[in-house]
Amino acid sequence: MRYGILLMGAPYSDQASHSALRFARALLARGHALEAVFFYHDGVYNAARLAAPPQDEPHLVDAWAALHAEHGVSLEVCIAAALRRGLLDEREAARHGKAGHSVEAPFELTGVGQLIDLGRRCDRLVTFGP
Amino acid sequence: MSHDHDSADGELLVILRHAPHGSSWLREGLDAALVAAAFGQRVSLLFMGEGVMALVDGQEAGPLGQKGTAPTLRMLEMYDIDALWVEREALAARGLDEAALMLAPRCLEAPGIVELIDAHDLVLTF
Amino acid sequence: MKLHILNRSPGVSRVHEQALAAMGPDDRLLLIEDGVQGALPGLAGAFAAIPGRLFALHEDLASRGLLARCDAAVQTVDADGFVALTEESEQTLSWY
Repeated sequence: MRYGILLMGAPYSDQASHSALRFARALLARGHALEAVFFYHDGVYNAARLAAPPQDEPHLVDAWAALHAEHGVSLEVCIAAALRRGLLDEREAARHGKAGHSVEAPFELTGVGQLIDLGRRCDRLVTFGP
Repeated sequence: MSHDHDSADGELLVILRHAPHGSSWLREGLDAALVAAAFGQRVSLLFMGEGVMALVDGQEAGPLGQKGTAPTLRMLEMYDIDALWVEREALAARGLDEAALMLAPRCLEAPGIVELIDAHDLVLTF
Repeated sequence: MKLHILNRSPGVSRVHEQALAAMGPDDRLLLIEDGVQGALPGLAGAFAAIPGRLFALHEDLASRGLLARCDAAVQTVDADGFVALTEESEQTLSWY
């Protein structure tokens, strides 16, 4: 089956990111496809490239990137939710005159339309809220 | 507005469970609904629990210019989102009069919520 | 049949009432994260209306020391079982 995940909890604040990652690994292990993870609401903080958790804690940002590298899972971040919260890729940083950027590949800033499309083309869309 | 049962079905049901101003849940849920409608999907909204507060008349912008969601709600018709449902029990629990709400949503008893969900391909909860 | 996912404990929130109100006669409920506190015998009564359809996530019970403290009405599933529940359900709804 084709799965999508909608993640709306912030990393290190809520367990939602851990739950979503665990679910993602489990569905892939059962032979399903994970088309994309869509990050919305405070879930956009999962894309913060400057996250620097202590070394004895799971690095959630890297864990998402690994999921992309190993399985080609798209990591789609709602641009409206991200910009408001200070999460900008290089292009948006330049557009808004900011000195640095806080989002990088494999995370992509994209519109809520991608979430609607994900819901339409997947067999299952599973939400993890805060 | 049609009251026949067939009009309850659609592609996306967005369940709104949060009040305006206190968090961004309501705004972000409505954004998802508007975008889906702009994509041509048939979208229904269910105001459940505290979400019924979104429909209270007389809302204003908050301090510091916080926008609230009432202006967005007034735009729903432009996006052809006219399947608006409200949980009757949630209104009663708050002493709110259905006749005084914005947008004239249709009231739903608890069993109707299950039917409404069944009638949609995808349900998003906010 | 649908799968409802609840991550709030009935000890601190009434969100479970929304999940229950939205459940059809065959729907299942899975407790995850803080929701697994609802598997404790003192709180599981909140789910008396859905006998045989109440599940809790094994890993979230284990990390909280609750595996041996679950009410008899609760069936546990691990992450693999969580995915299996979503396979069997035409869609999932999350209550948080």
